[in-house]
Amino acid sequence: MSDAAATPPPATGAAPDAGPRDAVTAAAARLLAAKVPGAVVEAVETGRHPSLTIAADKLVAAARVLHDDPELAMDCCHLVSAVDWPAKTPADGPGAIEVVYHLVSYARKQGAAYRRSAVKNDGFLVLRVRVPRDKPEVPSVMGVWVGADWHEREMWDLMGVKFTGRASLRRILLPEDWPGHPLRKDWAYPVEYHGIPIIPPEGR
Amino acid sequence: MSHEPVPSVPHVPGVVAPKAPPVVDASDLARALEERSMGQALRTEELVVNMGPQHPSTHGVLRVVIKTDGEVVTALQPHIGNLHRCVEKIGESLPYYQWLPYVDRMDYLAAINNEHGACIAIERLAGIVVPERAEYIRVILAEVQRVASHIFAMGVYGLDIGAITPFLHTFRERERGLDLLDHVAGGRLLYHVVRIGGVKRDLSPEWIDECHAFLDAVEERLPEYNTLLLDNHIFQERTCNIGVIPRELAVGWGVTGPALRASGVDWDTRRDAPYGIYDRFQFEVPVAHSGVAGVVGDCFHRHWVRFKETEQAIRIARQALRDLPPGEIQAKLPKTLKPPKGEAYVRVENPRGELAYYMVADGTDKAWRIRCRGPSFSNIGVMTDVARGALVADLVALMGSLDIVLGEVDR
Repeated sequence: MSDAAATPPPATGAAPDAGPRDAVTAAAARLLAAKVPGAVVEAVETGRHPSLTIAADKLVAAARVLHDDPELAMDCCHLVSAVDWPAKTPADGPGAIEVVYHLVSYARKQGAAYRRSAVKNDGFLVLRVRVPRDKPEVPSVMGVWVGADWHEREMWDLMGVKFTGRASLRRILLPEDWPGHPLRKDWAYPVEYHGIPIIPPEGR
Repeated sequence: MSHEPVPSVPHVPGVVAPKAPPVVDASDLARALEERSMGQALRTEELVVNMGPQHPSTHGVLRVVIKTDGEVVTALQPHIGNLHRCVEKIGESLPYYQWLPYVDRMDYLAAINNEHGACIAIERLAGIVVPERAEYIRVILAEVQRVASHIFAMGVYGLDIGAITPFLHTFRERERGLDLLDHVAGGRLLYHVVRIGGVKRDLSPEWIDECHAFLDAVEERLPEYNTLLLDNHIFQERTCNIGVIPRELAVGWGVTGPALRASGVDWDTRRDAPYGIYDRFQFEVPVAHSGVAGVVGDCFHRHWVRFKETEQAIRIARQALRDLPPGEIQAKLPKTLKPPKGEAYVRVENPRGELAYYMVADGTDKAWRIRCRGPSFSNIGVMTDVARGALVADLVALMGSLDIVLGEVDR
């Protein structure tokens, strides 16, 4: 399955098609350029998938700035997810894992002004962190958004992303002795687990 | 006069009768109580207790490991995953059409709302336009489901904290709501009626009449539930000022839905980031404010928000029934759905909070990656911070008020 249709890593967000500029993403890019130089690796501010790609080592500093800024006030980390992008051929390197953060602000958007405005997009700010597949280490943002705790544990459990700088990183959904991380594209179904036979979907 | 006391236990050679327990002197008891009130004596050892996974108040198979000092919880760690079946992995190995029945099984008390969100995400990926009538039918079904889910939650919350009667009352109306959905979809809890590009079945005029009757019945019964719960002194004693989730904690943990509004955050996705056709309806978003009873963010307010939301759900459903236009209920779709490369992040307001789907399409008939954000998953995380220092019995009240469904926590 892994060789079927893997897209090269940088192309997650489809083609940067034209369209209105996303105000939240643009403001966040400006803020980060001023406060945390070098944090934004790539900024897509228009089109259907506006997002900021952040350097892994600057992630916590960038998250802190976005959280504390009175204008943006990204007070909630809605979801932490990860996408596996294995390389098409071994010559392309190890491939990448993309950790995606969807941030949202309740402090900024709950005013009446937002409700009256005509534009009612979902208002998410999307951060992406791309790390090599063979060494997927991302600093934890648990210190900024406490809710990221369980999401990070789930991404470790199912995708094998190692979040560093947090007290413990245990599996959350699977048993502690489960082999591997099932959402990796090259994960193979084990033959059995403690004597329970496991039949992969192809064999059913 | 003195004589030998008659032994109550007959003498058996080799067996010694147990000694009678020492009689507690009244003054001893008074002293012990006094010392206890000064916090000096009767300290107990810390004990680690497993609550669940088969505890009736854990709503399924949640296992909470609690450290207790007597009746006080000093630390708590929820352990989840007993129902895990990796819906996301299944979604990557099945075509979009075939994955839809699986989302019903995540939050099995709000299957229509799950389908609604999943269909919107896939439609956004593929650029499908849903016919008007189908949009209205989706809203009607989603709100009937919300009413059924909320009155269920109100009833079992009473059961959690010791009131059995309201449970029986709310189940009477809930079954009527489930029968309605059954008549449309052919299933009691798991429907698979909202499909990509529309809905499976149309609503008949008889169904619409029956739906009106159901909404009227629930509206009429709501004050009755309140007599039993919200206005009940015992209920208020059990829930007011208990399990208070402050606003900052709720936002930081990503708590959503009634629990978030009970903490005083004025946010409802249906109004503030509308999906489908929710921007066409008039409804209010109940937000907890001080002045009802207890403090904002406590168990009482979570129940109160749920009750108020039921009224608003009835209001939305009536408007949708009134405005229901004639026409098609299903968009024309290819036999094999292949959305172009791209991604979508869609959140919908479920009865328990915001359910979100993050989907990445790679141009084939299967999704490259599907990630589901279950509202209960984030809502029970907050428990670790809130329950510290609470009584064990209050922990049950807190857990019940969050209204978790383990099927969606574990996915």
